[in-house]
Amino acid sequence: MSLLEIDHVSKRFGGLRAINNIAFAIEENEIAFIVGPNGAGKTTLFNLITGVFHPDDGAIRFQGKDITHISPNHAARLGIGRTFQLVKPLRNLTVLENVMLGAFLHTSSASKAAEQAREVLKYLQMEKVMHFTASGLPIALLKRLEIARALATKPRLILLDEVVSGLSTSEALALAEILKKLPEWGVAAVGGVEHVMQVVMSIAHRVVVLDHGTQIAEGKPGEVVRMPAVIEAYLGAKYKELGL
Amino acid sequence: MFPHLRITNYQLQVHGAGVRLDLYAALQAVINGLLTGALYALIGMGLALIFGVMRIVNFAHGAFMMLGMYATYVLFTRTGVSPYVLFMVAGILLFAAGYVIYFGLLRPIHGQSDFMQILLTLGIGLIATDGVLLVFGADYHQINFPLLGKNLHFGQHLNVNAPWVVSFVIAVVLALTLYLFVMRTMTGRAARAIAQNRYAAPLMGINVFRVQAISFALGVAAAGVAGGLLLPVFYIYPQVGDQFTLKAFVIVVLGGMESIVGAALAGLVLGVVESLTSLYWGNEWALAVDFVIFLLVLSLKPSGIFGRQRA
Amino acid sequence: MKRSHLLAALVVFILSLLVPAVVQKDFVLQILFRIYLFAALGLAWNLVGGYAGQLSLGHSAYFGAGAYSLALFSGRLGVSPWIAALMGVAVALACALLIGGVSFRLRGPYFVLATIAFAEVLRLIAKNLPEVTGGDVGVQVPALFHGNVNRAFYWAAVGLTAVAFATTVAISRARFGYYLMAIREDEDTALSVGIGAAKNKLAALLISAVLTALAGALYGSLFLYIVPDQVLALDVSNEIAIVAMLGGAGTILGPVVGSVVLESAAELFKNFFKEAHLLIYGVLLVVVVLFLPEGIIGTLGALLRRRALLGGIKASARGVTGD
Repeated sequence: MSLLEIDHVSKRFGGLRAINNIAFAIEENEIAFIVGPNGAGKTTLFNLITGVFHPDDGAIRFQGKDITHISPNHAARLGIGRTFQLVKPLRNLTVLENVMLGAFLHTSSASKAAEQAREVLKYLQMEKVMHFTASGLPIALLKRLEIARALATKPRLILLDEVVSGLSTSEALALAEILKKLPEWGVAAVGGVEHVMQVVMSIAHRVVVLDHGTQIAEGKPGEVVRMPAVIEAYLGAKYKELGL
Repeated sequence: MFPHLRITNYQLQVHGAGVRLDLYAALQAVINGLLTGALYALIGMGLALIFGVMRIVNFAHGAFMMLGMYATYVLFTRTGVSPYVLFMVAGILLFAAGYVIYFGLLRPIHGQSDFMQILLTLGIGLIATDGVLLVFGADYHQINFPLLGKNLHFGQHLNVNAPWVVSFVIAVVLALTLYLFVMRTMTGRAARAIAQNRYAAPLMGINVFRVQAISFALGVAAAGVAGGLLLPVFYIYPQVGDQFTLKAFVIVVLGGMESIVGAALAGLVLGVVESLTSLYWGNEWALAVDFVIFLLVLSLKPSGIFGRQRA
Repeated sequence: MKRSHLLAALVVFILSLLVPAVVQKDFVLQILFRIYLFAALGLAWNLVGGYAGQLSLGHSAYFGAGAYSLALFSGRLGVSPWIAALMGVAVALACALLIGGVSFRLRGPYFVLATIAFAEVLRLIAKNLPEVTGGDVGVQVPALFHGNVNRAFYWAAVGLTAVAFATTVAISRARFGYYLMAIREDEDTALSVGIGAAKNKLAALLISAVLTALAGALYGSLFLYIVPDQVLALDVSNEIAIVAMLGGAGTILGPVVGSVVLESAAELFKNFFKEAHLLIYGVLLVVVVLFLPEGIIGTLGALLRRRALLGGIKASARGVTGD
């Protein structure tokens, strides 16, 4: 049984087919990336998994359980954590308080939640800014805060939407080093990115490529990058013929 | 045709169901409702314009109507000119007031939450209402002029109060004018553009602040003009606007929050519903029925009876 | 809140209880009653409007429910007054379940309008069913206290404020409080960490309704007579919200400070302009929105935090340069 199964899922918005018959599976402790340009359907897919929308066709299963029609807070309770593409910190709360909210999923004690939150922040190397108000942080730290908050819920699977966008290469690589360690903690990760980057190549076990809502490739990063369909989607038909 | 229905002496009887409707009374109520409804439509259109273009929930809307009433009242008692002329002056005064209020009070809080805007307009409404109370006192007044007592008769059974007819006609003309303004003029188009996409609008060269100021001022003026037209047929007192603020919101929600046409139709519908409620259940329940309908619409079809679903 | 602050609050509470030993004038005690009552009302509203961020302008529904339950269950049905007051709490809870169940599904201004609509429907029902509620004419309310009435009601108001205050402190430290704040800041984010938004909002409303209803019963009982346009009016809802906003929604001290300021200002204003005291409410509301959006306490808190932050930065700078 895979950790997450996307079983031929489709979603329409009015006349637009945002997601068209996508199927793949994520195993436990895996790091996977959904790759596709903006508008390819990555965020929609994440929204479908977490229950913000529900698919028109197909099913989604998590740990064998059908989660096709759950609500977002239920998804979180089942162990699916999530970050948002446009970061959504709780602006008037401190960094620590933000992360505590995630920790509260497993404890009702404020002191225990604070303790767990501190641990997560240590792992993400954010202890120094623990007591700053979220509204004052730069984007790189806000992205980490998103991850920290989601990690505090002790998920089995974490969805990272555009987690490296807006970061400089060095910031992205630093984050990737941290993400690489997630499987050690029992957390599988699915990230959504726009470009096939060094980040993806260096840490992913599996890559799924989307183009206009349709899945055009799936497999190990090295394989996918050589697939003609992927080359065509990113570089154009010309390059496909050149057999790069 | 239907054996159980019989119409005799202008009464509709349904045998077995024990229902007797006095057709002419019902018709009279519908007509009265449409007459009131035209003014409601005008007030509602003003609010829809303000909400559509600025997402401002204007809790002072009824207060502006009340100010229009008082402006017309003061001018009438000073000059003796017919309120059916003076309402235009009230409209102009309130347009100016709206413009000033926009730049002075609303613009500074432009980006802030709905919450804050609601509280601000609430505050403005309270200041207006109690300011008027201080200046004019709490007494109810009613104006007196030749047209007041005249009724027009249609056949034996229907009659219509002449001042209401005049108010109705003027209100319809103004409503149409407002509609044409929003649909045909550049400013009106700009307003609709902002309503649809407030981020893209400035990129199209639209001066958002100016258009918003005009929209707000127009919405306020619409309320003020409705007040002026209401003066001949209603009591005037400082708190008269409060119920109209609430009714305006019922109308706007019924019609679909941003739809001017929806608000106009909803205004007419509300007028008729209130009138029929008054006929069969008594005056006191009219406002309550308004709210019940309001809550039903909010629960079941938040986009309004005439509105479109928004993504 | 730190230990020292809580201790200070306890001291204030005890001093408040001792006030009637010094102050005996009835009308002063009545003013103080009003200040404490609206402090309690503001604190109750604050749970929903401040912490959860849901602008309810229909709290008069619960206030009136408390007052009318006391009047009708006790006056008409002969139930003992204190039992009737408790029944008022039950009625308010029922109202809150209905109102919250419908309104919390709505976002933004729609929510606010729904809360107003419910309160207005209750007011109109009270007005239009004279056989049941006494209609416009009103209904008598039994006295909850006898003897030195003004002093007793004053103590009751202080007690209710203390309960509301303690409740707020407890909630702000517990997971529930954090959850409410998360819902206020960003409901989608809150959902993404497993917070059941509807459940928590409703819980806040229920607690708020209980306290508000008790305040309503006290108010009705002091004046011994209530009419719909007094206890179920929009003005009551507005006053409660303004008290909290003026002092600082989402803070613990805010509503208390707000009540002191607002009620004192209203009292002063009443002496100059007999009837137009709503004017001061409107002015304060506009001032708060334009200049003090976080209220008095909120703004003070922000200033202190900025001082502390700058102080911290200066201190660490000194550390770096070795001054």
